[in-house]
Amino acid sequence: MGRSLPSPSALPEAMEERELFERYKETGDVALRNQIVEKYLYIAAVIAKKFVGRGVEYDDLYQVAALALIKGVDRFDPAKGIKFSTFITPTVTGEIKNYFRDRSRLVHLPRRVAELRTEIKRAAEELTQENGRTPTAKEIAARLHVTEEEVVSSEEAGVTVSLDRPACDGEGDFYNVLPGYTEREFESFEERDAMRGALSTLTEAERTLVRLRFSEELSQVETAKRMNVSQMYISRLERKVLQKLRAAMQGGTV
Amino acid sequence: MKELLWIRIPLGNEMMTTVRLATGGVCALKGLDIDASEDCKVCVTESLLLLSHAGYAEAFISFKDESGLQVLVGSIGERGKATEAPEDEISAALLSALAEDVCMEKKDGAVASVSFRFA
Repeated sequence: MGRSLPSPSALPEAMEERELFERYKETGDVALRNQIVEKYLYIAAVIAKKFVGRGVEYDDLYQVAALALIKGVDRFDPAKGIKFSTFITPTVTGEIKNYFRDRSRLVHLPRRVAELRTEIKRAAEELTQENGRTPTAKEIAARLHVTEEEVVSSEEAGVTVSLDRPACDGEGDFYNVLPGYTEREFESFEERDAMRGALSTLTEAERTLVRLRFSEELSQVETAKRMNVSQMYISRLERKVLQKLRAAMQGGTV
Repeated sequence: MKELLWIRIPLGNEMMTTVRLATGGVCALKGLDIDASEDCKVCVTESLLLLSHAGYAEAFISFKDESGLQVLVGSIGERGKATEAPEDEISAALLSALAEDVCMEKKDGAVASVSFRFA
């Protein structure tokens, strides 16, 4: 029949990848599954890091990636001949991208940039006082524990441009190329009104979550601590809240 | 087919911010949305990491306006000593997960160029 398998006491580190997964498939041993997850958890960390700087904290990304990895261990078929890292990377990446989609980033990002700009200004002032010279982007990034790119991009985002300045090869000014101002303003009023209505459909706990996650911009872990619940509960509640808001904003039933 | 930007860079970590900013600029020029633009930055940096681990000290990046944004990241010069990098497999899988038409060319068993496309 099949080849003999190592004894349960054998360390997974000493086992080949294929052997490890085959053994788990055969035994369904949860302890072994946990050991496999621990062995490959670095993949979740590596991939989560690649998506930092998009308005979601590393902790949250790591949680999403780790959950995807756990699910992936059960679905992986070593008989197909591909390595686990090759199999799991698209799965984890897909879950992270779904998470971004669920987070309504269009609302979140501009606020984050605005806040970062305030922090950059404060850090620049502190560093100027401390060093007696204007700090570099690298120094500001190190002080704020963000990437240099975030510092430079935020600075770019804050560049003010005169609306009278010639635009598009000197053809008219920026007023002429901006979208209809009045129309946009009305749209904005309507959106705010719709959002107010949508928020009124939420329970108190859901409103607390919205305040902590989207106004105070806490991570899921921090929000869970503040609300005295688990991070998983926050993750589920957040998904539910976003679905409710989306439905209410679209005028559907909640 | 129109070349939007061609840059030549030494393969060092300190250049990555410059590369990401330049990539973001080209993506904005091409009208890619924020998500695609961020994904493109990841693909460019992962490609450069692959070349760096393969032992190259210099690379070029070409951005072309061709059925979307066509990117080619290629090595320049002779290959030095390669470094063992278990994360290379993740980089390759990540490229395939994020971009379209990913193609890796190898020379003497090591990655020498990577091309991909964002529609």
